[in-house]
Parts: sequence; C-alpha cells; structure tokens
Amino acid sequence: MPPLRVLVADDEPVSRTVVGAMLKKAGYEVSFAIDGEQAWQQLAVRNPPAIALLDWEMPGLAGPEVVKRIRASEEQTPTYIILLTSRDSSADIVTGLKAGANDYVTKPADEDELIARVNVGARVVELQTALADRVRNLEEALANVKALQTLLPMCAYCKAIRNDQNYWEKVETYFHDHSGVSFSHSYCPTCYDRFVKPQLDALDDVTQGQRSQKGR
Amino acid sequence: MMPGPVLDPSVIESLRQLTPPGEPDVLAEVLQLFLEDVPLRIEKLRGAWQAGDAVEVQRSAHSLKGSAGNIGATDLLAVCRLLDDRGKSGDLSNFEGLVASLDAEYARVEAEIQRLIA
Repeated sequence: MPPLRVLVADDEPVSRTVVGAMLKKAGYEVSFAIDGEQAWQQLAVRNPPAIALLDWEMPGLAGPEVVKRIRASEEQTPTYIILLTSRDSSADIVTGLKAGANDYVTKPADEDELIARVNVGARVVELQTALADRVRNLEEALANVKALQTLLPMCAYCKAIRNDQNYWEKVETYFHDHSGVSFSHSYCPTCYDRFVKPQLDALDDVTQGQRSQKGR
Repeated sequence: MMPGPVLDPSVIESLRQLTPPGEPDVLAEVLQLFLEDVPLRIEKLRGAWQAGDAVEVQRSAHSLKGSAGNIGATDLLAVCRLLDDRGKSGDLSNFEGLVASLDAEYARVEAEIQRLIA
C-alpha cells in the first residue's frame, strides 16, 4: 500500500518542520500549509490527504473553522483531523472536538505520542476505506439485480430466458442460478384439461382397444 | 539559582534523530529556521506592545512559545508563557521588563545555536 498522505498546517515554521520530519520518519508522505486558508484549499479537493494536523491558532482561518468547513463538505471517506493545541487550553480542546476534529495533540508535540495518534488515525481511515469499498460493491450488486428484474429477455413461445452469456436457459434453471429458488413441477387446472386429460383419454382408448382384441 | 542548559539536550538529541539516512540534517534546518523566524516575531511583539495591541501581543507570544518549545529552549519558553498570559489578560502595564527578558533569553539561545551549528 502507498504511504498515507498527511497535511501539516501551522503558521509557525519551526513547529511545522519538526512535526513534518517526525511524520516522514514514521513513513508518511507529508504536505504543508502555512495558514488556514491554504489548509482549506488542500483539503477541499477531490482526493484530499487522509489525515490532517491543524494548528489551533492560525492567522486567517483558525483550526476549528477549517474543521467545520471540511465536515460540511465531505465525501465518502472523511479526512481524519488532529488539532495541534497548547497544553493549557482544555476549553479550546472541547470546542475543537465539538467542531468535528477526531483528536488533538498538545504542542510541542512528543514524537512517540504524535506518531501513535497519527497511526490510530491511519487505522480509522483504512477501515473507513474498506467499508466504503464494500458498500460500493454491494450497491453495484444491487443495481445488477434490479436490472435483471426490470429487463429479462424471454422466448414468447417456450418461455426460455436469455442469460448474460447470450445462452437460452430454461426458466427454472435461470431463476435457480440467480436467486436460489427451486421449482417443484405440477400442472394448473387449465393445463390439466388442455394437455394432461387428452393424453390420459388417449391412453385409455389404447388400453381398451388392446383388451377388446384379447377378448376376441 | 543555577541556570539550566539553554537548550534541553534531550530535545536537541531527538531532533538530531529525525534525520533520515542520506537526507539533509533536520536539526540544522530547524535551528536555521528558528534564527530566521523568531527575530521577526519578537519585533512583531514589540511593535504590538508599543501600539497597545494586546491581542497581537498574545498571538506573537503564542507562536514564540511554540518555536521555543520545539527546540527545548526552556527559559525562553518560560518568558513567552508569561507574555502569552499577559496578552490574554489584556494588561500591558510594566511590560518593559518582560520584553527585556525576552531579548536577553533570545540572545542566549541564539549564541547556543551558533555554537551548535558552527
């Protein structure tokens, strides 16, 4: 699997560089933003970084505001967001998590803690991606079933059904293969009168004819 | 009180460890950035203080705090914390002493960095 992409958004170059170096060392692909506006631009694209580390106090657009915008505009697999905050601001942390951040790390970041938390984010993102793939597969399968139900080519005379391989199957076989339904064979009263009864009568005639020949 | 080391040796060591094999030295890059960026922020803080702008004082002090913390500049970090708190409270009276300590601590850090990257 290719390395996950992580965005580091911080207006302060020393923090930004240190955090970026920690992530690169841990095997992540890192991109940078120097303020909230740049962060938003990098996250509001079709295939955004999987994880974003956003500084709480950025000029222009602060971390929580970026979080709100992202959460309002999200696609199937949401970006995992970690806020970078000062350690003396628990009220800020609550605000950030309420705005939609997944986690926070206090600055200056401890390398082991930062990487452990980003790794948690990576696991969540991978799980979400796997689930989204599964949902997509199921939706495709469902769409297929619906297509079969709505348009099924059937022979007007013998009632055989043309399957996906362009082969004419007996209706029983077709439905058994596509839905697991099994058929037990019988006849309706109309067909009894039309097909079965004449055959039985014919059989009766034959046996009576044989008997009368023997009787001679 | 005996002054501690200007830069926390364990922080410096972990920054040194961040350099991947065959890549440019992360420690040197970070220290260089510090020397380029921090004086600008100190000047911004001084300007804000002279203009009586407590919000901007707090903002500058906050990012200085971040820079100082990242390179383990313990005493500089302590001064930045005080400045940050004062900015938050909005009280900029008797501020000269604090700004003078900021300049003094920065000078010590700068000297130590020059020694390290020499």
